[in-house]
Amino acid sequence: MRGRHLVALLGLAAVAALAMFSQADALQSNRAYKYVVLTVVITPSPAPVGFLKPATHGAAIADAGGGVRPPATGALAFVATAPSASVAQLAADPFATPVQLASAGTAWDVAPGLAPFELAQAQAQPTPVPVQFVAKADPNAQYIHTIPHTGELDAGYGSNTYTCAFEIYTYYTTAYTLTDWGYGTTKSGSGTYPVLNYPSTSDLAWQVPDLSSTVHAYSNSGSPGETTWTGTAGEKQQHCFNLTLTVPATEPAGTYTATIQYNLMTN
Amino acid sequence: MRRMRALAALAVLALLPLPALAQQAPATGSARVSYKVLPYVKASVTPNYQSGFGPIGGLGSGSTPAVGSGAVLDGGTVDFGNVVVGYQYLYKYAAQVNVQTNDTSGFIVYAEGATDLNGSNPTPSPATYPLFQTLYWLVSNAANTAFSPATSFNSTTSGTPLGVNGANGISYPGSPPGSASVWSTTTAGTLAEGYDYQLRLSSAMPTSQFNVYIVYTVVGN
Repeated sequence: MRGRHLVALLGLAAVAALAMFSQADALQSNRAYKYVVLTVVITPSPAPVGFLKPATHGAAIADAGGGVRPPATGALAFVATAPSASVAQLAADPFATPVQLASAGTAWDVAPGLAPFELAQAQAQPTPVPVQFVAKADPNAQYIHTIPHTGELDAGYGSNTYTCAFEIYTYYTTAYTLTDWGYGTTKSGSGTYPVLNYPSTSDLAWQVPDLSSTVHAYSNSGSPGETTWTGTAGEKQQHCFNLTLTVPATEPAGTYTATIQYNLMTN
Repeated sequence: MRRMRALAALAVLALLPLPALAQQAPATGSARVSYKVLPYVKASVTPNYQSGFGPIGGLGSGSTPAVGSGAVLDGGTVDFGNVVVGYQYLYKYAAQVNVQTNDTSGFIVYAEGATDLNGSNPTPSPATYPLFQTLYWLVSNAANTAFSPATSFNSTTSGTPLGVNGANGISYPGSPPGSASVWSTTTAGTLAEGYDYQLRLSSAMPTSQFNVYIVYTVVGN
């Protein structure tokens, strides 16, 4: 009888141990979550720079007026663009073809030989659109909230860094964990730039300099994501996030959005 | 006698009207007539332009957004209703810009806030909150979400708001700034484009009722 009790007690202890250690993560619940939405604007690279190709020795030079003159001795010869026949045509008869332009009150649509002048442009301004909303307090703000500093990440091709792009504040009465992952990402699949989706590595990375010098590519395989930081019961924390954005040469210029979900996991 | 006849003939000729003489020496010529077709641009903006308009989003806020009472189909206010600071919202079918022009070079549509967001009820301190990086626009699409890429509205810096809080528009010394461009086309005709609006509310935003007028200006190219 005593032996049976002992076996039963041992069994219960084993189950309790498993629940405490093996399933510890599952006991945490998502107390509140927030999204950090970052607008990424990739500016195009400068247009390719051309150069004037030296003409072969003795080649004739086409001048801006359409004539061709022989190259000066000892001078570099340049290949110039061919003169436009329409220039001579316009000079001879500006009204040869109908030109639809707003008039500034002069006899000419575009008076030849004069300095540039401003043409009145047709404009219209319809009745403005009224926009309204009532901003209410966030009941979760006492536990987690974000403080944006750089809503728009202006980026060039290559690596771009942003110091303290935003801050996050966390607090809870019990021990907690702040986790993150790219919003909308899944265990495996395809995602949009810059966070992408596992198995691709995110082109956006974060670092919390208060806590570590390590730079992490954002987790992009959905829940449970990665641990951003942990806190003890009653601990209030607010830290800056430095961001690193890599723009590959294959990414077209334009506007993109990176949305990161931050979760306050509590016991 | 002959002299008398000659004098009489001369007298008759003198009495003949000049056109009769001209008919005897016909001449042709051309007259050049130049004229200008003045370009015109007509525009209108329709708020809440399609059934299904209103706010969605607010994920994580614990509340579902509902359109405010100021919004009606094809008019009224783009009214997000109650929203929670720290969250993101999308207002579908917020405004449609309709343009009619004979300008074969097309036109550019600009949009700016007449002011920053004006707080009231209760009046926050300060009374305004930045429009930039709070209210965004994007071309309407059924797949749009509160997290879709969008461009922030700015409050005007080069223009003068007309009326209370810019209710009557913005007066510009020239054209609006290029950064306010929302639509550019190079064709004439009657064209329309619809826009959704996004709210990205910072946690630092005060609780209040906020209003702003978004002013669209269409300029022929």
